Amino acid sequence: MKFLVVDDFSTMRRIIKNLLHDLGYSNVTEADDGNTALPLLQQGSFDFLITDWNMPGMPGLELLKAVRADTRLKQMPVLMLTAESKREQIVEAAQAGVNGYVIKPFTAVTLKEKIDKILEARPK
Amino acid sequence: MSSIVFLREQYGTHVSAMAAALDAGDVELFGSTLDELVRLREKTLFSDLRRLTVDLQGALERFRLDSRLVDLAEKEVPDARHRLDHVLKLTDEAAHKTMDLVDQSCPLAERTSKGAAELNVLWKQFRSREIAVQDFRGMLEKMDLFLDAAQADTDAVRRNLSEVLMTQGYQDISGQIIRGVMKLVGELEVALGELVKLSSIDTSRKKVDEEPARGFGPVVPGINHGVTVGDQQDVDSLLSGLGL
Repeated sequence: MKFLVVDDFSTMRRIIKNLLHDLGYSNVTEADDGNTALPLLQQGSFDFLITDWNMPGMPGLELLKAVRADTRLKQMPVLMLTAESKREQIVEAAQAGVNGYVIKPFTAVTLKEKIDKILEARPK
Repeated sequence: MSSIVFLREQYGTHVSAMAAALDAGDVELFGSTLDELVRLREKTLFSDLRRLTVDLQGALERFRLDSRLVDLAEKEVPDARHRLDHVLKLTDEAAHKTMDLVDQSCPLAERTSKGAAELNVLWKQFRSREIAVQDFRGMLEKMDLFLDAAQADTDAVRRNLSEVLMTQGYQDISGQIIRGVMKLVGELEVALGELVKLSSIDTSRKKVDEEPARGFGPVVPGINHGVTVGDQQDVDSLLSGLGL
């Protein structure tokens, strides 16, 4: 299972990477915004995308929309992991096709639950 | 009143008198009428200048009331202070939590190290066949205690280290808040630049529209963010309502 973790803060990427490692997912690649993430997604064979929303270059919502608009990537499970907590934003992310939404600060348990839920719901 | 009508009314009489004086060859009359005409022209210039001064004063008043400046000074700068206060609080809490965890972990690591060192002495004696039977029994007892304690202590240290790592998440939240304040400082710079220019007052300048797609940043207590969710449970119930 290959993960791409997108966040503009290296500390947050490290935290997520560490938690994924604890959950048994050791194949994790990092990107610092949508602009660097999208080419990686298009080139690589990623199975799961975890992205922040508020990033200086391409924000997470735009990345999500780009993934859903790409015929090869549109089935990619996407978990939004963000401090953005307006109701309208969560609704917007859901409408754009997000598979899960975790607000920061978050716990290891919440991250595990959401990843498990998304993977269980994934078409076999 | 059209300008030609105004000119006729203002200067017509004098121009006609000057033309008549020229025809009649009356140099004196021509000269005195011309002097009067020049005085009249100066009077008009002074009144124009007065009007310009009044306009300038009005423009300065309007500039002082420029809504963006008022907004910046009255709301956004105090808000920025509040945001930075929150950053201070976050960093302070994270630093204390990290230090607490280190304080808890150090004695555990020391205890493990000390226990290993004590056993090492006995172990070396045993390996070089220099240990007395009594000391050998003592070593085994110590070994039993050490292995149990070392396992528990290193587990606790590992948990503390994970917690230390999680605590560093404050840097992400505080970084986003600081970026917001930096944007505000940039806007202030522009507004003050306009104040320096003074000459042309741009009243069309409005507050920069928020871009929802870019995100609004983290919620800061005491600042109105509109309708937000409180915690992960709220997010989950909102999403389950949307069939997710």
